[in-house]
Amino acid sequence: MPFRPNRRAKTFSVLATVAVGATVLVGCSPSQENNSGSPQPATITFAASTLGDPGRGPGLQKLIDEYNASQSTVTVQAASVPYPTFGQTVLTQMGGGEGPDLVRFDMPEFSTAAASALLEPLDDKIDASKLNLIAGPDKYLNVDGHRYGVVFENSNYGMFYNKDLIPEAPKTFDEFMQTAKATTKGDVYGLAFRQTQAEEAGVWQDIYNYVLGFGGDWSDGGKLTLDSPKVIEGLEKYKELYDANVIPKGADAATFRKMFANGKVGMELNNGGYVTATKSANPALNFSVARIPFPEKKQGSLLAPIVINANSKHKDAALDFIQWILKPEQQVKLQEVLGASSVATPTERSAESLEKYPFLPELDKLTESGVPQIVNGFGPQTADIRRIVVTEVLSSLQGQQDMKTAMEKAQKQAEELVR
Amino acid sequence: MMRRLHLGVTARMLAVLVVLGLAIFPVYWMFVTALTSDQDLFGPSINVLPDFSRLNVFSEALADGQVVGWLTNSFVVAAGTTVLSIALGVPLGYALSRFGFRGKATVGLALLFTQMLPEALLVVPLFAVFRRFDLLNSLHGLILADTAFALPVVALILKGAIDGVPRDLDEAARVDGSNPPTVLFRIILPLIAPAIAAAAVIAFFSAWNEYVFAVTFVFDKSLQPASVGVAGFIGEQDTSIQSIMAVGLLFTLPAVAFYLFAQRYVVSGMTAGAVKG
Repeated sequence: MPFRPNRRAKTFSVLATVAVGATVLVGCSPSQENNSGSPQPATITFAASTLGDPGRGPGLQKLIDEYNASQSTVTVQAASVPYPTFGQTVLTQMGGGEGPDLVRFDMPEFSTAAASALLEPLDDKIDASKLNLIAGPDKYLNVDGHRYGVVFENSNYGMFYNKDLIPEAPKTFDEFMQTAKATTKGDVYGLAFRQTQAEEAGVWQDIYNYVLGFGGDWSDGGKLTLDSPKVIEGLEKYKELYDANVIPKGADAATFRKMFANGKVGMELNNGGYVTATKSANPALNFSVARIPFPEKKQGSLLAPIVINANSKHKDAALDFIQWILKPEQQVKLQEVLGASSVATPTERSAESLEKYPFLPELDKLTESGVPQIVNGFGPQTADIRRIVVTEVLSSLQGQQDMKTAMEKAQKQAEELVR
Repeated sequence: MMRRLHLGVTARMLAVLVVLGLAIFPVYWMFVTALTSDQDLFGPSINVLPDFSRLNVFSEALADGQVVGWLTNSFVVAAGTTVLSIALGVPLGYALSRFGFRGKATVGLALLFTQMLPEALLVVPLFAVFRRFDLLNSLHGLILADTAFALPVVALILKGAIDGVPRDLDEAARVDGSNPPTVLFRIILPLIAPAIAAAAVIAFFSAWNEYVFAVTFVFDKSLQPASVGVAGFIGEQDTSIQSIMAVGLLFTLPAVAFYLFAQRYVVSGMTAGAVKG
């Protein structure tokens, strides 16, 4: 296979660090453009990793087509950036003074871009109170007192389970472990999660739930707490499941998600955005979603804002699309496309959606306890801290050190990084 | 005696078949996987034989013309890189092999040094340079970037090959009135044809597989090479394993075809060298 994600992931972890330096290198500054407030005729590009999803991509494209047909001034085109290197590629382009006009970023890359002045401030362009933006996730889009984006998608993490294999969802961690063990038989696994360095960002998303679920956090807002007892406890639970041989070890997310869709995996912790993909992979799958059965009612959420590139020559046109997508009618449509995710403003689930996915209210309730996957207080350094943590955690998983030692090492390295 | 000879032939044939099987198996497995349904992919028994009723995976992959476009772009970039690398690598290798000049050792060292830097470190400064010279979002820009990486290897391979050609041949030609370019093109080039073919294969493959520059420098969908196109099949939430395998297979075939084509010249060149004088 010519595509080598392992090597590429390592390569791009270096790239992410140097990308921001490009701003200085090219002396880039926001481009000169017409800032009259009304869009001039233009074709702009919109980069979103979801556009490449077989399940959700076509729906999003339809929405973009609808916008293009709604007026004759602005044309939005999907920019094609492959998911495996999405954040790093777009950051490099933006750091070099180019890049798509509109971007749907994940939080770590959003934080890096905002702190590096690569994003257009939207303070005087977006009025949160007038638009009725959901305050919980929206507050994370303000960096150093400036708004740099609006929520495009907020997806809470829940426990997906196959109802044919597991009729009743486990309610505690012990039940979770027992269910995973009992379901693992032959070619069926009780659980699946990411556990390889090649999927660094994915491992971070997975372990986030364990850390939060057992009362830990990566920081107290001002100081890193990677080696705190609660963090270590959560990560030890993650390792306990790995050691119990209840997961398909070595399988990447693409593989074990297909396995889940085909009844070969009993449970997995995933975000609401995955609902559509699961249905599209196997419409007959009898599955449901429940709260993650860990002691603390806190879990990760995949918060993805839409932002305007500071280099864009068509900022008014880009803003026009954002304002269009924030209209109540479009918000409902966007939510339908995104499946069980929520959007920037409160929307009601349609009766059809609720019939199709009866667990939606359960997932929606999790918005209150959802935490975006960044290190609180260290947003711009999240990607670098992530690399350190994941490397040490995986080394512990592979038996090279215990989790306490791993996290003490991670703490030291991360402290050096943020000093 | 005859029986022992037969056994020896059989053993050798078996060994060849095993090696051939090991070489072909990954490609065969990609083909089988592309033609396997999700249910069978994770079923209790493994499908060893391809399910030809699912051949439409390939026609679907080719249907919208996107894959053909990617492969065409990849071919243009790889062929361009190969031609440019060889065109620049031959005189560079010749100069390094035959001439003494100030800074020769530094040039040789610099060529080695370029191979030690990962693309990821160079992509950002190169992006800035390419932007200034309006080389972004173009296939010729990509050819230049890929050539910058392939040229040092090509030059060093060709230098090594030219080192192996006796200097007496150069001197005899110079006595006959040939100037250095004539010596290079009329005397040395035919003798190092196998090395040129080998260097061409390396340059072609490196450009064909290149991803980091391609994904960062090219924004226009219609200009994307296949390495970027194939990666696009990996989605955030969902990935079609069959589509990746089908397109991955189509991606590898032209490179294999080029290798087989070039290999003929490598072998024939080596044979030609063996019977000389």
